[in-house]
Formats: sequence, C-alpha cells, structure tokens
Amino acid sequence: MSVTDRLPRTGLLDGYTRAERGVVGFVVLLMLLLVYGLVTGGLGPTYFLYLIGLVGMYVLLSFGLNAQWGYTGLINFSVAAFFGIGAYGTALLSADSSPIAGNMLPVVGLFVGLVVAAVVALVIGVPTLRLRTDYLAIASLGLAEVIRILVQNQRNYTNGSAGLRGIPGFFEGWPVLETFPQAMPTLIVERLTLTVPFLFEVDLFGFRLGQSFWQGLLNVSLVLVFVGVTYAMLRRVHRSPWGRVLRTIRADEDLAEALGKDTYRFKMQSFVLGSVIMALAGVFYAHLNLYVSPGDFEPINTFYVWIAVILGGSGSNRGAMFGGFVVIAIREGTRFLGDLLPAAFPTLGIPFTDLVVSFPALVENTYATVVSNFASTRLLAVGLLIILVMRFRPEGVLPPQRELIWPEATEGPDPGSDPGTKAVSADGSGASRGGQTDE
Amino acid sequence: MSVLEYIANGLVFSSIIVLASIGLSLVYSIADFANFAHGDTMTVGAYGTLVTFGFVGGLGGTVLGLPYGFFVALVVGIVVAAVVAVVTQRLVYEPLDIGSIGLLITSIGVAFVYRALVRLGFGADPREYAVELQRPIEALVPYGIRMTVHDVAIVGSAALLVTGLHLLLQYTDLGRKMRAMADNPDLARVSGIRTGRIRIWTWLIGAGLAGAGGGFLGLYNNVGPRMGFDILLVVFAAVILGGIGSVYGAMLGGLLIGMIDQMTPILGDVGIPIGTEYSYAIAFVIMVAVLLVRPTGIAGEAGS
Repeated sequence: MSVTDRLPRTGLLDGYTRAERGVVGFVVLLMLLLVYGLVTGGLGPTYFLYLIGLVGMYVLLSFGLNAQWGYTGLINFSVAAFFGIGAYGTALLSADSSPIAGNMLPVVGLFVGLVVAAVVALVIGVPTLRLRTDYLAIASLGLAEVIRILVQNQRNYTNGSAGLRGIPGFFEGWPVLETFPQAMPTLIVERLTLTVPFLFEVDLFGFRLGQSFWQGLLNVSLVLVFVGVTYAMLRRVHRSPWGRVLRTIRADEDLAEALGKDTYRFKMQSFVLGSVIMALAGVFYAHLNLYVSPGDFEPINTFYVWIAVILGGSGSNRGAMFGGFVVIAIREGTRFLGDLLPAAFPTLGIPFTDLVVSFPALVENTYATVVSNFASTRLLAVGLLIILVMRFRPEGVLPPQRELIWPEATEGPDPGSDPGTKAVSADGSGASRGGQTDE
Repeated sequence: MSVLEYIANGLVFSSIIVLASIGLSLVYSIADFANFAHGDTMTVGAYGTLVTFGFVGGLGGTVLGLPYGFFVALVVGIVVAAVVAVVTQRLVYEPLDIGSIGLLITSIGVAFVYRALVRLGFGADPREYAVELQRPIEALVPYGIRMTVHDVAIVGSAALLVTGLHLLLQYTDLGRKMRAMADNPDLARVSGIRTGRIRIWTWLIGAGLAGAGGGFLGLYNNVGPRMGFDILLVVFAAVILGGIGSVYGAMLGGLLIGMIDQMTPILGDVGIPIGTEYSYAIAFVIMVAVLLVRPTGIAGEAGS
C-alpha cells in the first residue's frame, strides 16, 4: 500500500530497495496490461472487476495465513478448508437451493461462517498445535481432507458435489445497496476507432456498463473494506505485545516458554485469528461467485495461498498483497494466454514445410501441448515458482522489515536518510532500507 | 461380503501402502523432512511402467496372469522413479539451505512439477495397463474370498521386495551404514561413513520402492496423474502410525492402515453409518490420534 503512496513523492523510486522497485514495476506493468485490455475491449469491465475481487480475496487469504505462518510459524495446510467453511457457511444460510436453511440474510451468513470457522479452528487446533511443525503440516492437510470428504458426501446437508447455487449478493437486505445495481443507469460507452494515418487503427471501448457492472463495483468495494479493516487490525495486532510474543514463538519457541509465555495459548489464538480471516475470504467468494462446490476445498487452493505468502515474504502484509496479485496473474494469466496464443507454433507467415528442418517437431509438439493444456501449465508454473522462491529467495520478495525493532525507534522525521542500515530479524530475513517501517 | 474377503482386500492394498511408506520413512529419517513429492514419485513409477509396458508388451510367457514384459516394465518404472528422485535431490534439495520446513514446502513444488509434467506428457485421463482383466480365483470363492491372480502377484512381489530390503538392511555393509546414519548422522560421519553416498543410496531405494508401489497401484486401480497425490496422505498416516524414521514401523503401519482402509465396510455391516467413502478420512483421523497420543508411533525411533 505505502509503496504506491510514496511513489509520487520520490518520483525516481530513490528510497526503495531493488526488490521493491521490481514489485512496483510488476504491479504497474500488470495494471497497464489490464487497462490496455479494458480500453481495447479485450477484457470486459465486469470481468475486470471480478478479477480485482479475486485479488482482494487472495489478499485476505494471504493475510490469514500470514497471521499463522508469518507471525507465529504455524504450518497450516488447511487454508482451503477454512475458506470453504466460510463460503459454505454463508451459502447454506442464504442460497435458495440450500438443503438446510436458505434465504436468510447474507449478513447472518457472514456471522455464522466466521463463528463456525472459529469453532472448527479450535477443534483442529486442540490436537494439532501441540505437535512439531512438520507433523502439524501433515495433520492439518489430513483434517482439511476430512472436511472436504464430509462436504462432498453429506448430500442431505451440503448438496454434495452438485454444490450450491442461487446465492444472493452480499448486500441483499441492505437499505440502499440492495437495489443499487438495478437503480443505476446503464451507461453505454460508444466504440471509438482511433486511426493514426499510415500506421495503425485501433478500436477502443465499446461496452455497456449495466447491472452486472454495478454489482461488480459493489463487490470490489466490499472486498476493499474487508481488506482494509483486516490490514489495519493485523498491523495493530502485530505491533502489540501480543504480536511480539508471536514473533518470539516463531523465532524460538523454547525461549518464549522460558520467558513464561503459554505458547500453546498464543499459537491457538493466532491460529483462530488466521482461520477466521480465511473464512472471511470464503464468505466474500460465495457472494462474488454466487456458486460454491466441494472443489473449493481442493488442496491446490491451499497451496496457491502458500505461494502468495512465501513469495511475498512470510510475515509481511505488504508481501501478502503482492503475492495475491501474482497468484491471480498466474491463475488467470495462464487461462488468458491459453486463449491468446495460437494453438500451433508460430511460423511467422512462412509456409510450414519450409520450417520442418529448422524447427524440430519436438519443439512444435511441446509448444502445442503446453498451450492446449493450460491447467497443467498452470500447475507447472506454480510448482516451479515454489522451487525457485525457496532456492533463490526463501525470505520472499518483500520480507518484513525491522520487525524486531520498536516501531517508534524507526519512525524518524526523515525517511530514507539511512539506506545502509541493515536490520536482521531472527528468522534470518534482512531489511536493507532505512525509513519508516511498513510492518 | 465376508470378513475373510475384507482381509484379503486389505492385504492387497496394504502391500501397496507398505512399499510406499517404507520409502517415505527412509527419506524422512535420512533427509530429515516430510517429502510431499513422494506420492508423485509413485505416479512417475506408474507411468514409467505404463510406457515401458507399451513397448515390451506381451514379452515371453505369463505368470499370475501377467506377461513377463510387465515385470520388466515394472523394473524400468522403479529405475525411472529412483533416477528422477535422485536427480531432484541433486538439482533441487541439495543446494537449498533452509531447514526441514523449507524443504517440506519445496517438496510440494516438486510434487506439482512432477504431476504437471506427467499431465503434459500423457494427458489427464486415467489409463490402464494392457493386461487382461482376471476373474477371481475359483479355489478361493467358496471361502467367500474374491481375489484375482493379479492381487496375488501384487502381494507376492511386495513381500519379495520387503524381504529383500530387510536382508539389505540387516546383512549388508550398505544396510548397516544406512541404519547407522538414520540413528545418528554425525556419529556415522565421524566413524568414516561417506554420508553423502549413503544419502543417495537411500533416495534410490526409497524412491524405487515408491515406484514399485505406484506400478502396483496402477494395476490395482488405474494409472492417472493424481493417483500418487491422492494416496500420499494415507501413506503419511501409515508412516506416522508406524513411527517416523523406522523402516519396520513403516511396514507395520502400512499393513495396519491398508487393512483398516479395506475393513471400513464392516462398520456399515455392524450398523455404524459410516460409508466406504470415508475410508481415507478414517485413516487421517487415526493419524491425528496417533500424533496426539503417541507421536513416536508404534515402533518409535528405536525400530530401524
């Protein structure tokens, strides 16, 4: 957040580390690409808003995991389960196809979803949080699978693999916002043809901004509120004495115990907090997508969030936001590329037969396979990304900065005056930029 | 269905789980991390077997309803899985300097890469070996056991491999070194054991057994890109039940988990409304219970 805040002031990105410049560059590039798609009509405005909503959802999920893994060092492989509990919690109450309740207010669903997630987190946490970290990883993945199997098979309660349809938007039952999308006028942006003589000719715009657009806008505002509130809360919590205990546990649990802290209790609190945030993301997803299914519990969803957190930098909420962006870029980008790229290897207009000699069939076949199987390509990208991050930058792109330094000590009047300072935190991640802290 | 039949089914499924869990436990004890790519190593072995079997086909005569070619293919599958694992160890795990948790996370990335490559190469649809489906053995049907000769082949081969491993561990120089290293790597090192070399051997053996398990799993069900990942947690349950790091514990844990998995229908027979769709879930719950009550498992650290 603050990265972009400070952008106009510094202008040339003076006070930033290389990594931060890279991140800013990446986000700007991605935004430009999206705006380009929007302007040329390749990307519908409604879909654009949907993507932004998904980014917000991943940011929330990453915040949740960050509160567990980044702050306290808990390896939780059941992210998808808590996400699914949030989504199913609200869907089962508000959807009209719900087998148990249905047609209740989404706000009730939000409340129930979060409470159920907190209870399940307690139930899972009681047996697992006493375990060694690697056992916790295995046990949490196992219990997440148990929840997935339950949801898939208890048809009388969850509709089974058919999933739940007919979920209302989040603002149903609200005074003004419920009818906001219907009340707004449909804006029609005319198609413009821009012609630069002798060079090129592009079509711009040309879309209708109807009800679904306003609905999308509402959803994005909602997720922004969720993300904003969560971020502010986590920031506050992380700096509190409570947050310091969590960081001590992550660095050295024995030390925390020697200082008289009941580490099990602190771990449990951090686990429940993170799980509730994940469920919040699930609630939002249910009202964004308007359809939930047991597929939302698939372990792969857990690992998407893990990538977002370890790539962004464990323990860093700025990093979690960046990670959310990257995950959506991978998830949607591979889909987009799959449609965009030609199915066969580009032959640059030269007849195919001339190229048989220069392009071995292997290259062409590989290319065709990769392009036509974007789901597998995505999996490959995800796997390679995990390996590369762990190999070359295990602390993540934006590691938490100065997390062990008293905040007031670094909030000097002149940010960026001491770029050579190095603060090394207990888990080995270094911070190399002076100025105000972001964590 | 009779209890005898459940036991027979359990024996077949156990054989596969035992092979996989020994490998996982070996790697856990020597490389000191939970290898989440182990399941996908099984997948690699199964596809190695599938492809080779496509080439060698019905080579020679048949034994237990399987052509000799199948066993040749299985050996190739084992070798492929072992080589892939060692190459991964050299390229990915060895250069890392991030502790066992970092290795664990990396191994998830490795698992995804294996699965993605398998899917890119062979498609996402499940396949089957080109062997004739067998009818249950006539002689056993009167006892209520429906078991094919393929099942006998799986159990027999697994028993052979496990016995081989036992002999290797107990009576060869390599086995003694492996046990020494699993016990205390530093002590093994100062005693003059070349731990780097032993580590490679452990990866070879562990991944090879996983490859064999995958090959048999393909015969038992079918060959698909997700087969290994889907069974990984069951294998973890077996390893944890037996005691992490203990080879003999893993054998026992694999046997028990495989049996329990196939015994799930009994619950329905005696009136407990838990269907077979929950057989994996039961294994996972047992796993968590074991972790709680006795984290060292049945055999503890002393077994190997």
